[in-house]
Amino acid sequence: MKEQLQKDFNNSIKNLSLSQKDIEIKKFCLDNFIDKGFPNRKEEDWKFSDLSQIIKNNIGELSFYNDQASTNKVDTSVFVDGLEHNKIVFINGRIEKIDFDYEKKDQIEIIDQSETINEFRNSNSLSDLNNAFTNKCFKILVKKGYQLIKPLIIYHTTNSKIWSKNINLRLNFELDKDSSLRLIDLFNDTSEKNFLNIFYNFELKENAVLKNYKVDKFENKNIKYSFNNIDQDKNSISETFILSSGSNFSKNEINCNLNGIYASAFVNGIFSLNSDKHHEIRSIINHLNENTKSYQLIKSVLDESSKAVYQGKIFVNSDAQKTDGYQLSKAILLNKESEFNAKPELEIYADDVKCSHGSASGSLNEDSIFYLMSRGLSYQQSRELLINGFLLDVVEKITDSEIKNLIKNMIGIKE
Amino acid sequence: MLKINNLNATIDNKSILNGLYLDINPGEVHAIMGPNGSGKSTLSNILSGKKGYEVSGEVLFEEKDLFELETEERAHKGIFLAFQYPLEIPGVNTNIFLKTSLNAVRKARGEKELDAIEFLKLVKEKSKELKFDEEKLNRQLNVGFSGGEKKKNEILQMSLLAPKLSILDETDSGLDIDALKIVADGVNTLRNKNNSFLIITHYQRLLDYIKPDFVHVLMNGKIVKSGGPDLALELEKKGYENFN
Ligand SMILES: Nc1ncnc2c1ncn2[C@@H]1O[C@H](COP(=O)(O)OP(=O)(O)OP(=O)(O)O)[C@@H](O)[C@H]1O
Ligand SMILES: [Mg+2]
Repeated sequence: MKEQLQKDFNNSIKNLSLSQKDIEIKKFCLDNFIDKGFPNRKEEDWKFSDLSQIIKNNIGELSFYNDQASTNKVDTSVFVDGLEHNKIVFINGRIEKIDFDYEKKDQIEIIDQSETINEFRNSNSLSDLNNAFTNKCFKILVKKGYQLIKPLIIYHTTNSKIWSKNINLRLNFELDKDSSLRLIDLFNDTSEKNFLNIFYNFELKENAVLKNYKVDKFENKNIKYSFNNIDQDKNSISETFILSSGSNFSKNEINCNLNGIYASAFVNGIFSLNSDKHHEIRSIINHLNENTKSYQLIKSVLDESSKAVYQGKIFVNSDAQKTDGYQLSKAILLNKESEFNAKPELEIYADDVKCSHGSASGSLNEDSIFYLMSRGLSYQQSRELLINGFLLDVVEKITDSEIKNLIKNMIGIKE
Repeated sequence: MLKINNLNATIDNKSILNGLYLDINPGEVHAIMGPNGSGKSTLSNILSGKKGYEVSGEVLFEEKDLFELETEERAHKGIFLAFQYPLEIPGVNTNIFLKTSLNAVRKARGEKELDAIEFLKLVKEKSKELKFDEEKLNRQLNVGFSGGEKKKNEILQMSLLAPKLSILDETDSGLDIDALKIVADGVNTLRNKNNSFLIITHYQRLLDYIKPDFVHVLMNGKIVKSGGPDLALELEKKGYENFN
């Protein structure tokens, strides 16, 4: 892998107009990655999901160079119907379109940060890989007091012109005081067996509201890692919802720093998996100030030999009195080959806090199935009703009603 | 309509029904009384197709082997069980459930499925008859319903599906006097020369409102005595001791 990395790296920096210093930083990150390799199960955070093995078994040898010089045609057929929205379109990891047609132009600033490396550190080697290979990097700045009229959908698509087996991308968001953004990260990738390595950084100023919805619903053979860092000032709210279903492997990490008083974070998610898919959500909520709040609800429906992992950590430092932290995960195992792993972690250094966690898993309730079938429903109908009923309360946590309905339709919950 | 010959049932090697015989003809109302644990609910469950029992013997429903039919097919053919303990099903809207159920049964009977408007009209009518608070139909199935409301919901389902054989497993337990009368009215409305009922109860009071044709005493998994309505009065006075 080392030679391939160096060769692809040299090719890709040729196309960039970087200062010598920036190139040095990228090189440094590359060397770090070469040193460490992909995360494996010996690392605590990866003990349930050995990415190194998963890549080896599913993709084999990776390549890293993508020709980012030529443009790709945007396939508009993937756009979501019936919901007016702003768009960012990635094709093969290249940003092809940024469109805020529905918004006041002077309220949103799109800043090209490609020429200034801002290193992303999350203590695993994937940030190094991302730092070394990301090509374009933009920051979306929503100005003070501006609330976007329409949601923003980020489309992740691929086409047949893709060269590399690895895509790295990065986006930064800053929501200034009193602003708000609704974001849907939508995966439409149809390519076979690529590794997507995505890093987002969110900065929420006072009173800002971020609604961050991640939808991986369409069947694909890709392997995805997505890291989301969310820094939150006073009174800000971040709401993350993850629908984790389509990819072969996916790991979403949500790292929330509740820096300001009364800041709150919500992380809700659904794993709906079959075949031998393996998905993980890892959340770290850092309560760093007084009266901060976090709430997490994760529900899984696992069929065949699929596997879901939820590692949720609540950290409360000694200043963060009156913290309220809640975490619950529930799983239905539809097959005895399927597996759910929950690893809750509480690390609390303040004394006046309210924190709780819980986890439960089991099979579909036979008595409930009998009740429904005794009313004439088929086994399939009964199972579907029960599963949708089980998932309903997580979906109901989505506070945006338009997007809630979109997601309900996607998973087939009727009203 | 229903013919049970020498029915035996065990679960986890524990014998629960031991040679049970029962004949129910169209239009008849049979009551079964018996001490706790004698096998009444087990009998109801087996008739409606609950899995997990080891059974032997013969049960014919309209001359056909009942054990050949899946749970939902029995419902399609007109068997209905009002559960002793109706289940709470979180996340499932009561109206959606009722509509799915009714249309599944109608489809199997070769009748036209009802659209949303036709269904709502019908369910409104039926809830009114049963004095069942319609607002509850927009809630999750039985979740947060009181004991009596759950029982009424069972009777609402019964009257929507209009089954040929209705088995009421202690539907009267936990009902107040008014609700008891309403439930009895529900049964009596459905009662005609084609529809039959098997009513399981601990109290003779229900039988004042629904006059049974036969009363049976079930003990240790078999029927030890059968008679007319008077048998229920006798049981009320003397208890089950004499039958041991
Ligand atoms: N799943 C089971 N596993 C083991 N034993 C069972 C099971 N279901 C029922 N039984 C036993 O079978 C016997 C009959 O139970 P059943 O529920 O049929 O009684 P019942 O006549 O309906 O009683 P009640 O009047 O209290 O409702 C009881 O002793 C009960 O404990
Ligand atoms: Mg019983």
